[in-house]
Order: sequence, then structure tokens, then C-alpha cells
Amino acid sequence: MNIIRHIIRFFLIVLAQSFLLNQIEVGLGIQWMIYPLFIFLLPIKTPIFWLLFLSFLLGISIDIFSNTFGLHASSAVFIAAVRNYWYQLIESKEDLEEMEELSISQLGFFKIAILQGFLILLHHLWFFSFEMFKWTEFLFIIQKTLLSMPCSLALIVIIQKIFFKKVH
Amino acid sequence: MREFLAFIKRFQIFLFFVLLQGISLSFYFSNVNFPKSQYLTSASNINGWLFSWEKYFTSLFDLGNQNRQLQKEYAHLKEKNPVSFHQINRQYYKIEDTLYKQRYNYISGEIIQSGWAKRNNYFTINVGKKQGVKRGMGVFSTKGVVGVVSIAGTHFSVVKSLLTENINLDVMNIKTGAFGILKWDGKHPRFGTIYGVSNDIKLKKWSEIVTRGESGIFPKGLKVGKIAKIKAIEGKPLWEIKVLFSEDFRTTQYVFVIKHLMQNELEELIRKIPQDKVED
Repeated sequence: MNIIRHIIRFFLIVLAQSFLLNQIEVGLGIQWMIYPLFIFLLPIKTPIFWLLFLSFLLGISIDIFSNTFGLHASSAVFIAAVRNYWYQLIESKEDLEEMEELSISQLGFFKIAILQGFLILLHHLWFFSFEMFKWTEFLFIIQKTLLSMPCSLALIVIIQKIFFKKVH
Repeated sequence: MREFLAFIKRFQIFLFFVLLQGISLSFYFSNVNFPKSQYLTSASNINGWLFSWEKYFTSLFDLGNQNRQLQKEYAHLKEKNPVSFHQINRQYYKIEDTLYKQRYNYISGEIIQSGWAKRNNYFTINVGKKQGVKRGMGVFSTKGVVGVVSIAGTHFSVVKSLLTENINLDVMNIKTGAFGILKWDGKHPRFGTIYGVSNDIKLKKWSEIVTRGESGIFPKGLKVGKIAKIKAIEGKPLWEIKVLFSEDFRTTQYVFVIKHLMQNELEELIRKIPQDKVED
């Protein structure tokens, strides 16, 4: 059952990202990205190979729709690799073992924002650095990252708050 | 050997990570400059259909605006029709004009997916190889130049718009004939920059910038924009000219792909120009 839920989530997130969010452009270098949500919500005990591979698949699917030729895939694989280390740094091992996946009702708003916010920051920094790929554009990369990060994080947290049922 | 296997086993996760990064980044860097295949882009059939389906719904909101624009264009063309001219000299009749030969054909299409906030913005249009679109053809709208076809799929194509890093369009000032290369700095979707114009040429603000038509991709004199700001580059005898694009890429919907009927002839001639020898 769980696998089916993740598959449905995968398709919904890809569709929402490419047909909704990619069309809403506000300028100043802001880009909304909600697809890291899928990587955050994969079960904590997912084998690392699957975690990397699924993130790659997710990234490539987004790339196909937004003509970025592998840029999203690269950033998704990057945060998938960092994810578990970062979770372990913030949360104690016992707490992580109890949870199946991150849930906002269990951890609370603030902790989720820290756990996911930092990964989104890394993701955006990686993405925009490779997109521009020039030292002279350094400030613009920082501008894009710092402006897009709150937007993506807000969307991701709101989606979790609205669509995910409380775990009792 | 055993040590090597142990090494691989120890670092297998890291190696897998490197492999995936290698695949995606090499795919990115090889395609961002020289796009090759229509697969894994929005020019492929499935994505194309999905996007045109989405476009069908979203385009309904802008129909009034688009109609008005088409009407304007239609009235403008109607004025050029022989019917609307009054013939002054009644001695001559136009039977078949051999003085003019068709040089450019236009294929009309619709943008089904676009963007302007990224560093490199590509548009997907709903015409492809079946309609005669080929890689490298120019694309323009009723207001001005839009871009160059970078991938031609069977039914859809991807257009590299003026809002990309390596667009390097030949443009010139219509008043003075001064020419340079148009680039986009990735910041504002309405402004581009022209480099390579010598600063002893006097340029007027708000005078028009048009295509130069040197490479045969665009006909000469197609609108690009207007000069918004002229700045001197420090230490070089060149102007840095800011251009306000006549096309607002945030709202472009209908475009025309330029088919240059004499492209082969032109390329053959250019190939015959003796190349300068590079001295090492």
C-alpha cells in the first residue's frame, strides 16, 4: 500500500511542478520548486541506493518538462545524498527510528522548517550555481537562492500542513 | 585485487552518487550549448501533447487580446494588398512578377510552453519536422524576434529564445547601420545588451534595433527592440547598449518560423570565402 502511495505522490508532484509551478513566474530570479518534498517524504529507512535512484528519476522527469537537461536531476541526487546525514544531525537516532517518515503533526512546524529548509537551501544553491556557472555571477546566484528558498519552503510546508493527515 | 574490491564495496554509495551526478551533469552541459535529440525534452511527442492540452485551457483566457492583435496585423497586411491600391499608371498590367522571387516562407505556430525567469529559457512550439521546421530556423512574432529553433521534434520543437545565454544575435541600429551582438544577462526579461559597437558612432536613444540578416536565419530589418540606455565600457572603445525588447516574452503566444528558401545557396557561397590562416 505504501509503495502505491509513493508512486501516486511522485506523479502528482511531477505534474504540479511542471504544469502549475513552472508556469507561475514572478521575476527577480524566483523559482518555485516543490519536488524536493518527495525526497523528504520517502521513508527514513529507504536504502540509500533506492533513495538516490528515485531522486534521479524524479529530477529527470522534471527536467523533461522544463527543458533543463539534467540540472534538476543533479540537484535532487545531491540533496538525497545529504538528507540522512542532516536528519541524524538534528534529530536523535531514537526519534528517527520511531518515525516512518517525517510528519509535520509529530515534529511540529518549526522543526520541519529547519529539517527541510536547510536541504532546500542546499538544493537551490547547487541548482543555481550550475545554471549560471560563472564566478562573476556569484551575487546573482546568492540572490536567486535566498529569494527562491523561502518561496519553495513555504509551499512545501503548506502542502504538508493541508494534505497530510495526522498520525496518531 | 581483493583490496580493490574492498575499496569499491566501501565506497559503493559514493561511487553510485558520482555516477548519477556524472550522467546528469554531462547531459546538462552537453545539451545546453548544442542540443542534440528531441528525447528527454519538451519536443518529444508525449510532453508536446500534454503541453498542448494544457495550453488549450489556459489560452482561452487571453483570446480577446490575441484577437485584437491579429486583427491589427490583418488590417496592416490588407493595406498592402494590390486591391487597396489605386492604380495611377494604367498602361502596365501585373501579370507575373519575375523581378521578385520568394525568399522567405513563414510557418505559423503557437507557443505551448514557455518561461522567462530562468537563466536559459526555452519555448516549446506546436510545429515540428512534419510542418517543415528544421534546427537553426529563426522564429519571430508579430512584435519582434523571438529566437532560434534548437531542437526540431516530429510534431513539436524547442525554441531557444532571446532570453538565453548563448543567443548571440546579429543586430544593427536602423538609423546608423552600426552592428553588434545581442546578449541577455539573465536578469530582466525585457532588456538585452548589445556588445561590439564602436563608441565613435553616435547613437540616438529610442532609435530602433533590427536584425542584420547576415546569417540568413532572419530577414534583414526584423524588429528586435529599441535603445534604452547607452553606456561606455571602461577601458575599451566600445558602447554597451541596453535594448528594450519590442516583444514581451512573458506574453508571447503566436509565432512564425522562418523558412529561408535560399539558405543552401547562401551557405555554399559563405563556404567559398577563403579563410584567414590562424598564426600560432
